[in-house]
Parts: sequence; C-alpha cells; structure tokens
Amino acid sequence: MTRRDFTERDIHMALDGELPGEERMAYDAWLEANPEMKARSARFVADRAALRAAFAGVLDEPVPARLKQAVFGETTVRASALRSRWWLSAAAAAVLVIGGLAGYVAGIDRIGGGNESEDLLAEQAIAAHVIYAAEKRHAVEVPASDKDHLQTWLSNRVGLRLVAPDLEAEGFQLVGGRLLPAGQGKAAMLLYEDASGERISLFVTAESAGKSKGTYAAEADGPEAVYWLDKGYGCAVVGSLPRERLAAVAKSAYGQLLAGLAS
Amino acid sequence: MDEKKAAILGEIPRLRRYARSLLRDRDSADDLVQDCLERALVRLDNWQTGESPRRWLFTIMHHLFIDQMRKVNRRGEAAMLPLEAGEAQAAPADQVESIASREIIDALQAISPDRRAALVMVAIEGFSYAEAANILGVPAGTLMSRIARGREELRGLLDDTARRRSIRIVEK
Repeated sequence: MTRRDFTERDIHMALDGELPGEERMAYDAWLEANPEMKARSARFVADRAALRAAFAGVLDEPVPARLKQAVFGETTVRASALRSRWWLSAAAAAVLVIGGLAGYVAGIDRIGGGNESEDLLAEQAIAAHVIYAAEKRHAVEVPASDKDHLQTWLSNRVGLRLVAPDLEAEGFQLVGGRLLPAGQGKAAMLLYEDASGERISLFVTAESAGKSKGTYAAEADGPEAVYWLDKGYGCAVVGSLPRERLAAVAKSAYGQLLAGLAS
Repeated sequence: MDEKKAAILGEIPRLRRYARSLLRDRDSADDLVQDCLERALVRLDNWQTGESPRRWLFTIMHHLFIDQMRKVNRRGEAAMLPLEAGEAQAAPADQVESIASREIIDALQAISPDRRAALVMVAIEGFSYAEAANILGVPAGTLMSRIARGREELRGLLDDTARRRSIRIVEK
C-alpha cells in the first residue's frame, strides 16, 4: 500500500468518488486521526445531501410544453412566420368550437363579488389597463413595430404561446405590449387603440385556478373586463367600450388567442 | 419519431434540474433549457453517434449559461447579488421548499457562476471529474479547485446564515 499524506483536497476527491480504491483505507484512517478534517468532511457530506434534496423535485415536474415543442422544432421564433399564415383559419375554427361566446358575455353579468381567482384576474387586468392605457408615451415596453420580438418575448416570459390577435376588423390596431406581475407569476398585456384613440387591453397569464368566464367591473363607471379562465391560462379583455362592442372585440381576440395557444 | 430527438427529450428533466440550480428562477431556467434545445437542434449533425446525449446537451447549455453570465457582468447588472435567505425572492407557489432547501439554494446562487457550475455538475448531476472538466472545457486541476472552493464558499455562507438567524432570535 502506498503511503502518502492526505490533505483537504482528498476530502473532496473522496466525496466525489475520485479517490483511488487502494487509497481508501489509508484515507479513512487519516480521517479518524484528524477530527477536524473528519468534521469538515461530515459537513460537506451533509451539504451535498441538502443540495441534492433541494433539487430532487425538479426531475418529477412535468416537462413544460414549450420545451417539448422546442425539440420538435416548433419554437415560437422559427414558427412565427408559418403560424401567422394558418392561424387565421384555425382561429375561425376555434370560435366555432367555443360557440355561444357572445351569448354568455351578454348572459353572465357579474359586477363585483363572487369567485376569488376570477375576480383577481379581472382586477389585475383592470388595474393594468387603468395605469397603462392612460399613458401616452410610455404605455408599452415593446411597440407594435417590433411585433415578432414582442410575441416571442412575452411567450417565453409568460410561458404560453402568445399570438397578438389581429383586431383590425374591430377597428383596433396593436400599440404594443408589456410584461406585468400577476399573482405569483407573470402576465402579458397587449394594448390596442382605435382611430379615435380609444384603448383596450388584453391581459394574459398562464395562471388559472379553474374554468370560468364572465364580465367584471371594479366600479360602476370604470372599465369592464371580459375574462376567461381555463386550465393553464386566463385572459381578460379590458376597455370602456359599449357592452356589445367589447363583447365583439373580446370574442375575436379570444378566438385568435386560443388558436395561438393551441398552435 | 427521430431517435435523436427522443434521446434529447429524455434529457430535459436533467437539463431543467441543472438549469434550476444555476439560475434559481424557474422561468429563467426554462428559458435557458429552451435556448439549449434550440441550439442543439440546429446542430444535430454535430452530435456524433455513440456520444452521450447528456454530455453533449450539458456542454451546449453550459456555454449558453457562461455567455449569459458574461453579458450580465459586462452590463454591470446586479443580477448576481447574493440574496438574504428567503427574503429577497419568494419561491414559486408550486415549489415547496423547506427552510433548509431555501437556504442552500440561496447560498448556491451567491457563489461565483464558475464554481457553482463545477460543484453542481459533480455533486448533484453526478458527473465524474473527467466528464465535468470536459463539459466545462477546463483542465481537471481547475475543475477540482473550483469544486473545493465552491464547497467551502457554500459552507461559509450557510454558517453566516445560521449565525444571522441565531442573532435574530437573540434580538427578539
């Protein structure tokens, strides 16, 4: 057996399984003879166990859809050009599937009160709208002129595949968007403006507690939110438009968002 | 399905764990993994048959991480500020962390990125020194000193945290 002096360096090697097998016995004897080194080794062993425990759960988490999509070459960046061509038809189909959307927008009228998570989403969306829609020069972080980047960036941050809906048929042009906090997560806000300067915003988050839909207004004469929550996402369209017009805009926006999410 | 893609898909949980240990924030970590996967797909032809997909992907991700850290440093952003345990950054709601886990995760974020990567690669991911040195692109001696210093730094930070905690208790 080769005799040599061990040092602290050997503690790391032993811990990492890099100490040659034939030195192991001599090393263990050295550790026994050096209580200080033995204590140090024990602390490192404990730290390693704590490190492993701290990250062990990650392996059991479901793989996020966007990562699977990345492997199949369907990433937001590269696919955006393709998607922009076919989502219009997909959107039309989605609206059909949703069916009577205008019906429940008109039918369900909840002003205040009710389920917490939906109110929370609507309240956050309205608060964001009140603050940023009023800003003339600093309403958005990324302008519509940089739409591709806007969509990619917000998609990555929010964790949903976001497509800024085309609302020109409803008279609205995209102004741009920004990233906002929402509960424990993040939300994307997309701002639109019509020819008269009237603004509406779309608020989309990957957080959602359950399935529901409805309209919400924090104050009787304040902006109103039309919202949907489903498994894995929630979205709200906020504006101070007449009820019918807001419903029509929301329906179009929702159909396109849904088609984008599913693409 | 393409065999290579299937192999890559199977490595995602490990890549996510490594990314999380490097970056802590779940979204940023997944962004890093996504960047890694996108780059890997572009370079699919560079991946030699027989080469472990894990080593290949970890190498790609490590380069992306180091590039990102350098950019952050150049811009002089305070992205690497050590966090007061459990105070500066709330854990995501769905990620239940014990106090011990949170302390060690915070401490890990506070050590230098090079040491963090070396330590995690060996202590959590279970790579040998030779494999880790290869992935990180450094000589074995450099790797060993990063691991040793990383471990000592980590322990020092945990000792500090424990000391601060006991001071707080005394003050009450």
